[in-house]
Amino acid sequence: MSEPGNIALQTTNLVVGFKQDKLEHVLFEPLSLALRQGELVCFMGSNGVGKTTLIKTLAGIQPSLSGTVTTHDAVALVLTDKISGTWMTVRDLVTYGRYPYLNWWLSLTSEDHLIIENAIRHVHLQLIADKQLNQLSDGQLQMAMIARALAQNTGILLLDEPTAHLDLNNRVEIMNLLRMLARETGKTILVATHELDLALQTADKIWLATPDRKIVEGIPEDLVLNGTFDDVFNLKGFDLKTGKITHTPYRKISVQLEGTGAEYLWTKNALERSGYEVTAHASTSIHILMDDNSTAWNLVRNHASSQYNSLHDLLNELKR
Amino acid sequence: MQKYPASFILPLLAAGMGVLFVVNISIGSVPIPVRDVLKALFADTGTYSEIVWQFRLPKAITCVLAGGALATGGLLMQTLFRNPMAGPDVLGLTSGSSLLVAMLLMAGRYGSSIANLIQSPWSIAIAASLGGAIVFMLIISVARYVRDNTALLIIGLMISAATSSVVSVLQFTSQADDLQTFMIWMLGSVGSTGWSELSVLAIVILAGLAISISLVKSLNGMLLGESYARSLAINVKRSRTLVVIATGLMVGAVTAFCGPIAFVGLAVPHLVRLLLPVSNHKILIPGVALGGAILLLMCDIVAQLPGSTQVLPLNAITSMIGAPVVIWMVIKAKRISV
Repeated sequence: MSEPGNIALQTTNLVVGFKQDKLEHVLFEPLSLALRQGELVCFMGSNGVGKTTLIKTLAGIQPSLSGTVTTHDAVALVLTDKISGTWMTVRDLVTYGRYPYLNWWLSLTSEDHLIIENAIRHVHLQLIADKQLNQLSDGQLQMAMIARALAQNTGILLLDEPTAHLDLNNRVEIMNLLRMLARETGKTILVATHELDLALQTADKIWLATPDRKIVEGIPEDLVLNGTFDDVFNLKGFDLKTGKITHTPYRKISVQLEGTGAEYLWTKNALERSGYEVTAHASTSIHILMDDNSTAWNLVRNHASSQYNSLHDLLNELKR
Repeated sequence: MQKYPASFILPLLAAGMGVLFVVNISIGSVPIPVRDVLKALFADTGTYSEIVWQFRLPKAITCVLAGGALATGGLLMQTLFRNPMAGPDVLGLTSGSSLLVAMLLMAGRYGSSIANLIQSPWSIAIAASLGGAIVFMLIISVARYVRDNTALLIIGLMISAATSSVVSVLQFTSQADDLQTFMIWMLGSVGSTGWSELSVLAIVILAGLAISISLVKSLNGMLLGESYARSLAINVKRSRTLVVIATGLMVGAVTAFCGPIAFVGLAVPHLVRLLLPVSNHKILIPGVALGGAILLLMCDIVAQLPGSTQVLPLNAITSMIGAPVVIWMVIKAKRISV
């Protein structure tokens, strides 16, 4: 394996796309990109922009139209392709990772068995390793697919939408696993995704496919601040710079809020969500009162003061 | 689901096949006691030696070979198309074989000087294999454009119908005695193979089986789809060609000598997976081959109508036993899968 930070995969004037009826459909301008060892890169872009095609071309299973891909390490893939063989167990599926190293009769050595069990342990599927694939949840199946790629023991891992159709919990688990793999095992990982929030919080670097068919490279924060994300995703009502959904203070009422910690943040959230503007000085004010085991909200309005034990009651009173 | 390991089920299937093999030989227009069957087989003595060696043994061996070949061909096709309803008869391979065999027989009639050459067992086997392989390649090229499983089956049925209609035209123009031969052949029979045909059948089928076994890794890889298979360093194009050759050989040879036997290729892989719920072709190929042999031995026993001198057409029996089984499986399992 190469030194940390060395180039693991590089493209030179790579043109990806496909041929249909002798016509070339080019998806991007010529690409000169690099993945460095131990990096977690999220490849983002709207649906249908050509993320899958680029990943397959990088992996060498789809020919490029021109240009080259240079890999300094072997590549394993996790795709969105539906697989058959519902009778196979998780362990059978992970065993596929060893196929490039096995003979035609698929004789497994003790080392192969060790690698397979390690891959299963990495994704925490030991307890269901003998379950058949049709008994797994979507999240478990995706984890098994990742374990299969891990068993291939490659330096580079390319994943196409590994978190699609999963709930938030599974999405976070998968991104954390990839983060950990890049950091601890030095794998170079490229994840195609359109999950903005997860990518921003886990990626070392972003490849962003822009509408003018280029791929912009950068660390997440730079791309947020210089507005590239806004251009690509055409964000509607989501303020990337604060990481929140923009609210319109439609009630035209300002509220002064005093308090600290999580209680302050969530009270502010509740107020803004309900159409109030939270400002430093206003005639209506709310104090968050906290002692060791309870929280209460003190509302001062029109020189009258009242106290509430839940935000629900507070909001109801405010609306009057 | 997996109640018993393959190391238990496979020998069980082999033993079952052995028992049915002996029972199959003992049943016929003249019932032969099992003791005399064994005596004739191993010592070549006894009153029944002639019947056993000249008629019953070739027929039983044909059952084993044909059943194993059709079932393995069905498994290969289901894996290649990743479609549980694929099979040599469903997708028109047997019709393709029938067409070339019919054409060969007609050519033999009109070019009488080369008739003997043309109608040797070898040329019939080669023509039938070629016919099956051509239809298979046709279906594969169509499958590139049609990703939908149901559409593929409909196209298979249409190809099957088209080739069958050409066969009917050939029948219509042929003479009465030819027609009768052809009709009997269409009904399916394992009883018309002598030792010379049998040796051709065995060589061709064993070659097809050997190719299938050499493809274990690629067949497993195909279950994950073409992209994954390629990323696992499997040569998909080459493997696909070899699957076509192996299936063409096995299905073609059976169709040439036994007629277009329906249902075995489609149903046996699913029946075997009730006992062996696995996806690994290392276990599936021997399991399915044994299962096919068992099913055809059983069907032939039923076709003999024990206690009667009548023999029913084999095709009627395979469909009569098979169709309800598949319907039952679809209803019970809600869905069947590769």
